[in-house]
Amino acid sequence: MSSNEPPGGMFGLSYDSESRVFEALKLLSTAIIVLVGVWPIYWMIQLAFTEYETVEDAVTVFPLPEIFTLDNFAVLADPEMYTYMFNTVVVAIGTIVTVVVVSLIAGYGLARLSFPQKENFARILLIGYLFSPIVIGIPLYQIWRSIGLLDTRIGLIIALSALSMPFAVWLMWKYIMTIPEAHEEAAWVDGASRWRGFRDVVVPQCRPAIIAAALFAFALAWNDFTFAQILLPSTETTTFAPGVLRAMGQAQFLPDAHLMAISLVMTLPPLLFAYFMQSYLLKGFQVRAL
Amino acid sequence: MPDITIQNLTKVYEESGDEIVAVDDVTLTIADGEFVTLVGPSGCGKTTTLRCVAGLNTPTSGTIHFGERDVTGIPVQERNIALLFQDIALYPHMSVQENMAYGLKIAGFSRKERIARVEEAAGLLQITDQLEKMPSELSGGQQQRVALGRSLVRDPEVFLFDEPMSDLDAKLKAELRPVIEKVTDEIGCPTLYVTHDQEEAMTMSDRVAVINDGELEQVAPPKEIYDEPESKFVSQFIGQPSTQFFDGRVRAVNGRGTLVVGDYEYEVSDGLKGWSGDDVRVGLRPQYITVSDDAEAGIPATHLLDEPLGDATHSFFETEFGEVIVVTDPDFEGNGGEYGLVFQSDYIRLFDVDSGVRIA
Repeated sequence: MSSNEPPGGMFGLSYDSESRVFEALKLLSTAIIVLVGVWPIYWMIQLAFTEYETVEDAVTVFPLPEIFTLDNFAVLADPEMYTYMFNTVVVAIGTIVTVVVVSLIAGYGLARLSFPQKENFARILLIGYLFSPIVIGIPLYQIWRSIGLLDTRIGLIIALSALSMPFAVWLMWKYIMTIPEAHEEAAWVDGASRWRGFRDVVVPQCRPAIIAAALFAFALAWNDFTFAQILLPSTETTTFAPGVLRAMGQAQFLPDAHLMAISLVMTLPPLLFAYFMQSYLLKGFQVRAL
Repeated sequence: MPDITIQNLTKVYEESGDEIVAVDDVTLTIADGEFVTLVGPSGCGKTTTLRCVAGLNTPTSGTIHFGERDVTGIPVQERNIALLFQDIALYPHMSVQENMAYGLKIAGFSRKERIARVEEAAGLLQITDQLEKMPSELSGGQQQRVALGRSLVRDPEVFLFDEPMSDLDAKLKAELRPVIEKVTDEIGCPTLYVTHDQEEAMTMSDRVAVINDGELEQVAPPKEIYDEPESKFVSQFIGQPSTQFFDGRVRAVNGRGTLVVGDYEYEVSDGLKGWSGDDVRVGLRPQYITVSDDAEAGIPATHLLDEPLGDATHSFFETEFGEVIVVTDPDFEGNGGEYGLVFQSDYIRLFDVDSGVRIA
């Protein structure tokens, strides 16, 4: 689908019709991708706005005005659902803050200080990615239980932060290395302490990397199922993903239409986040040698 | 304000087991209000010396005093210095105004006072209309003015420059030189200016310190450095085009030292008797070689090419001693002819072959 494709030669047609064929094929392939990607989301939206009694048998491809309703969103008022969403938000924010603060400081240390085995130390960080969350989850459960972090939001925040940290630290490390040391030295000459120079000169320049790390941590925390399921076993403390699953398994109380309504609400924040931050995200990932 | 005293400064780096001596036993005093330029080729230790004075590097041995105060172990933040960097190093996320006021902010000045001081400095540097801009919107020359302003508002005890103009083009350099001199005069503190550009060194300094391989070769006023270089290196490094060198030998004739270069003899000073019979390096600036139309009048030379500069011409000749550059009249055109090169023997400088130390 590359637009760099030469306009002629591929189908043995004239340049003019060639480029029209090319445009048509491009449109077609885009349409296929959009259909596959967007259809489930469209279906979710449609179900969320359909009266739930009719969901089983009366749903049509295009929405009908007579079965349109907002009633499904009443499920948001359900105290249990409210708890799940609240917990998810707290855990996501907590993870973002932890990841950003720790990775900034760790990345600065890697970029600016020299200590023995620095590169190896950074490489070892990546070992965490060799294991799937479920493998780490079981031992974490036992450790968290013995130190009293089980069933606490703090416990999940720590676990999720640890999962995001290797990537975030590497990102900050490489990003801070692109900031000339002379900027900081200028701040020291101006009388700033090392900490103050870091805060006033390095951190503001890291904004793209901070946003990229925050997005990464957010996506991980918001969508996390495994860790939340394992580390937050009780219903009162758990987050949205395991919470909804448990509610579905429990009873008839959660019809599909309600599930779709609440899922829609939970999908909006990451969508908006990604949409408005995408330019920063790209800047953050543009660091060379990452 | 105090003077800077650098005593026996040595800096040794360790790199994969090897010891690299960047600065070797440098001793230098910069008086209050004096402008001293440290000049040398890249990698000669001049920037390391400056960074030790700034407090960004720690010397391996030796001391640095600002006046009576021993600052050798004092961190950069407490030295009250100003430093201009090669890559300018303005804070890219702050406006010009904020850049200049940052040091004052840390020192705890009130907002009103900060603005007043910044505006005063901006007026002096003619950047008053740039204060609201971001550094990326400024040209290189303007950025360096802002960096000067950042130093100026803080009223430093010591002013340091680390090749601040090496990224600017020749015209901007010439424009910025008087500005730097104005600012350092205004502050009136000792100034250490590091550069590899001998033109900057010659034009701005009260004294020039030539450094090579971590060692000071000579410290003297610009004119003296140019006319009376103490070593072959200084003679070669300072001056454009560079001093021309020949192999020579000293012979005593009638009680006078005579210099022999190839088949040609030159009368030089009396002090050469002791060197009689020794090989020497003969240095002569291209300005002091005359071109004669008569090939018999001097060293025979074949003209190669001319580089007309407008006010003078640099002419290249092929001789039995290799290629020789001569500064000729602006109207000179060699056209590949045969000429004779005549040395003005008063300006001949002789150097020891091994050590490069000046003999006469």
